Amino acid sequence: MRPIRVLVVDDHALVRHGLVRLLATLDGVEVVGAAEDGESAIRLAAETRPDVVLLDLSMPRLDGMSALPRLREVAPASRVLVLSMHDEPEYAQAAVQMGASGLVSKAASSETLSGAIRAVAAGKTLEPEAGLTPREEEVLSLVAFGRKNEEIARALGIQPKTVEHHCGRLMSKLGVRTRAGLVAHARRIGLRPPAGS
Amino acid sequence: MRAIRVVLGDDHALVREGIKACLESPRVLVVGEAEDGRELVRRVQVLRPDIALVDVSMPLLNGIEATRQIARISPGTRVVILSMFDDKGTVSSAREAGAWAYVLKDEAPDHLVRTIERVHEGERSFPAGTEGLPSPKLPVDLTPREREVLQLVAEGMRSAEMARVMKRSVCTIRNHRARLMRKLGVRTAVALVEKAEELGVVRLEAVRRSA
Repeated sequence: MRPIRVLVVDDHALVRHGLVRLLATLDGVEVVGAAEDGESAIRLAAETRPDVVLLDLSMPRLDGMSALPRLREVAPASRVLVLSMHDEPEYAQAAVQMGASGLVSKAASSETLSGAIRAVAAGKTLEPEAGLTPREEEVLSLVAFGRKNEEIARALGIQPKTVEHHCGRLMSKLGVRTRAGLVAHARRIGLRPPAGS
Repeated sequence: MRAIRVVLGDDHALVREGIKACLESPRVLVVGEAEDGRELVRRVQVLRPDIALVDVSMPLLNGIEATRQIARISPGTRVVILSMFDDKGTVSSAREAGAWAYVLKDEAPDHLVRTIERVHEGERSFPAGTEGLPSPKLPVDLTPREREVLQLVAEGMRSAEMARVMKRSVCTIRNHRARLMRKLGVRTAVALVEKAEELGVVRLEAVRRSA
């Protein structure tokens, strides 16, 4: 199966290079370019026709939101996955309305990013689950990947007790009573580990 | 020559992982990481790294306060501040708190690696044109504890949670809050949060919504 071709767009060099290196470690993902502003992003997208554009929205100099519609125009087959530091779920909705296929928080783990890239490359749109905080979404996706609490705690850099707390909140918000129920729910809404993991 | 041991603090996991990927080399070894300022100080205390790479806007304890605490509890650890902003106030606060270097996330990764190596060899590194600038003084003298409480209030914490985080009694926390409000001349928690932003103690975008 050919690799997923990704274009990385972020105007902070350290973060941009970091993302490129991170993605290079992922199986089945190939970085085809890196852009530091809207103009070069649009140019590179038109040239390389990536499967996925990873677009940082939260940078003051890079006006990601306005690059979004133009990206969709010049490379309509490329799916845009937005990266953001902003915590509001409404932000994700706005991004999807502007043409993004989903939003991933920078507070997310690389596993979640990897899952999101594969999901949007496969044509899914990642709608944020209404009423869940970004952290809860993060924990839910790792639970869907079959991770135990200690592993989730390590991946997110938080305490296992905090993970337990989030799972409790998730079960209560989603109306499920067991962890298996959480996993089932997560898979139903499209959160799935990458094939072969 | 043994590798330079680094502990890394940044509240965004993806950014942290990316920085780690950029740093990992025979010369530099990331021995620990943290996603908030308090956890960072704890990791430094345990691991005694050569370098602490500290994001300036972390939740629970911001980078400047973390730098001060690290200088106290692990004097052999040299702090390199990482930031998206290079406003002179923050840079001079970092210098005054004891940081050895200030690096923008805008800079290429090899600049960061070179800075870490230079600091390890005893050289300081700050953005050009920021030497000798006075750091913005708070209009009133706040104790370190009061500054910690101010940040936690700005992050939306209630006294019970602050007590847990700071390992103090709720009574003590309430006393700190009351003294803070008196010193800053405000009467509500909301006004306190606004003051915190105004004084640069916390940037509102670093404020986490409580999950």
